[in-house]
Amino acid sequence: MNIKQKKIRIFYLSLFFIILYVPVLSVVLYSFNDSSSTAYWAGFTLDWYRQLFNDRVIFESFKVSIEVALLTSVLSAIIGTASAIISIYVTKRAEKAMNGLMFLPLIVPEVALGISLLIFFSELKLPFGIFTLVISHSLFCVPYVHIMVVLRLKEINISIIEAAKDLGATRWQIIKTILLPLVMPSTLTASLLALAMSLDDVIISTYMAGPTTTTLPVHIFSMMRVGVTPKVNALCTLFLAGTFLLIGLNQIAGTKGGNIIEFEQKQIR
Amino acid sequence: MNEQLLSIININKYFGKSHILKDVTLDIKDGEFITLLGPSGCGKTTILRCIAGLESIDSGDILLYGESIKDLAPNKRNVNTVFQNYALFPHLNVYDNIAYGPRIKKSMGEGEIKKSVAEMLELVQMQGYEKRMTHQLSGGQRQRIAIARALINKPDILLLDEPLGALDLKLRKYMQTELAHLQKQAETTFIYVTHDQEEALNMSDRIVVMNEGVVQQVGTPGDIYNNSKNLFVAGFIGDRNIKEVKVLQKKGDFCSVKLGNSVIYIKPDRSLVDHDKCSEMETAVLAVHMDKMKISHEEVPNSLYGQITFVHYAGSQIKTEVDVDGELLTVIEYQNDYGNYNIGDKVYVSWEETGALLLPKEDTTGRGQDE
Repeated sequence: MNIKQKKIRIFYLSLFFIILYVPVLSVVLYSFNDSSSTAYWAGFTLDWYRQLFNDRVIFESFKVSIEVALLTSVLSAIIGTASAIISIYVTKRAEKAMNGLMFLPLIVPEVALGISLLIFFSELKLPFGIFTLVISHSLFCVPYVHIMVVLRLKEINISIIEAAKDLGATRWQIIKTILLPLVMPSTLTASLLALAMSLDDVIISTYMAGPTTTTLPVHIFSMMRVGVTPKVNALCTLFLAGTFLLIGLNQIAGTKGGNIIEFEQKQIR
Repeated sequence: MNEQLLSIININKYFGKSHILKDVTLDIKDGEFITLLGPSGCGKTTILRCIAGLESIDSGDILLYGESIKDLAPNKRNVNTVFQNYALFPHLNVYDNIAYGPRIKKSMGEGEIKKSVAEMLELVQMQGYEKRMTHQLSGGQRQRIAIARALINKPDILLLDEPLGALDLKLRKYMQTELAHLQKQAETTFIYVTHDQEEALNMSDRIVVMNEGVVQQVGTPGDIYNNSKNLFVAGFIGDRNIKEVKVLQKKGDFCSVKLGNSVIYIKPDRSLVDHDKCSEMETAVLAVHMDKMKISHEEVPNSLYGQITFVHYAGSQIKTEVDVDGELLTVIEYQNDYGNYNIGDKVYVSWEETGALLLPKEDTTGRGQDE
């Protein structure tokens, strides 16, 4: 490779990362700015964070967000893992249908999904709040879990299941002692992803939120309408920190899962 | 010992439209090391899976101690399998892998399990490996653990599906001896599947040669090697010269046949090979082990005269190709047996009268030498 090509490559990559991360950095930076304007730097302050922590509404919506995200991640982990395991015990055609249907919530535009859920839950006369939020968030999180666990199951050597059967295990015992432990890393990874997706969902949450229960992103969105205060910057910074933490955890869980896959591939060879 | 253990009666198996097992009937005695031998796709692994219950059979029956097991689920059959790729549980350590069977069936308490696992590890010479994860083991070690994991359940039969296939040549040879000893020590019936004739001949009490879903011959390694019943077995087992000949005359036990333009007398073993099927003046197949042939410069009675076209040194053996009236015969001799032969030498090729097989030509159930 000649030097010119190399330079172009470096330039391109730098530009990419600058566009990606500089806005993010600026949010973090201005959350410490001692001025309500983002036009200039007026010195370091933690004032916005203080205000943020004293804001009852933000605190309440944050609580709702966390609660919804945790419940969603647990619920979708259970449903997604179960459906993935079921998919290997049904006929090939049923398996295909299952996998296809699982993709649908990911393809349908969220706005349409949100409206249909809104109509559906209103018809059922369900009170909007944590319950509807968790159900609707799980709707788009379950497919991720399902797909990730299915991928993991595909990597598991079928003769391991036969070996367990051969050693006397019933179907339930196989699921409990072989399949679940083997897919657990994928389930964990997927549930962390679900947690992150639930935490930053705006569109569906806007439809599903109750009069007193809004999630944090929805609240931030509404705050934006009356103008950006550095308080939002501070909030976004904390949010970013949380997201990065989750991604970090995800990576760790992912590597762990990856190792087991490698062991197994070695075994097959 | 030698009590009838497993009877496979006329089983048939189809995968879609392909007929995998065709009227397979087999009797297996208690304590036997029996090998199913055949080229890939001959149905040997399918038989194993039918015995294990991992495949159902379409007709026929499988009896264990005289009772039908064909409708029992695999977990209800007292047989265990060592899979081709060992299929150890990657998330469990060696101890938990071996303890899996008794734990899942609750057939032993933890104390007893601990004792049994120790016994099994001793049997397969893997003491001290309890805490290792399976990915930390070598191929040979994994295979021992797979055997221990199966044997701890005290199965009536241990089924082994090409367990040495993934090992390198040296280890494979070593494990052959090991397995044969292990089988006697464990006093368990082994049904072993392989496509490797050397493995089969080395370890088995009896060999079942299969091709295209049909049992070709059942017998001791000696029987199978020396007295192959048909052309397929003759071509599959051992290295033989297989040549079409014309049967000239049959007189008592002797038979004169014409190979090219030369005539030679043979004395096939009437008790094992049905050479009555070969009639006079018709074409038949002559099969002679390459290493049972001799070549010499001096004329010997009842021999074929030809010219050496190729000499190949293979370690302790010399492989010589001799052109006899346009038919190439391969002779394998040990280096120090006879003098040196060079390409172009005129030589006489001979063999013991009883060392040859005469097989009917049409009796070709499937082509030989598939692999």
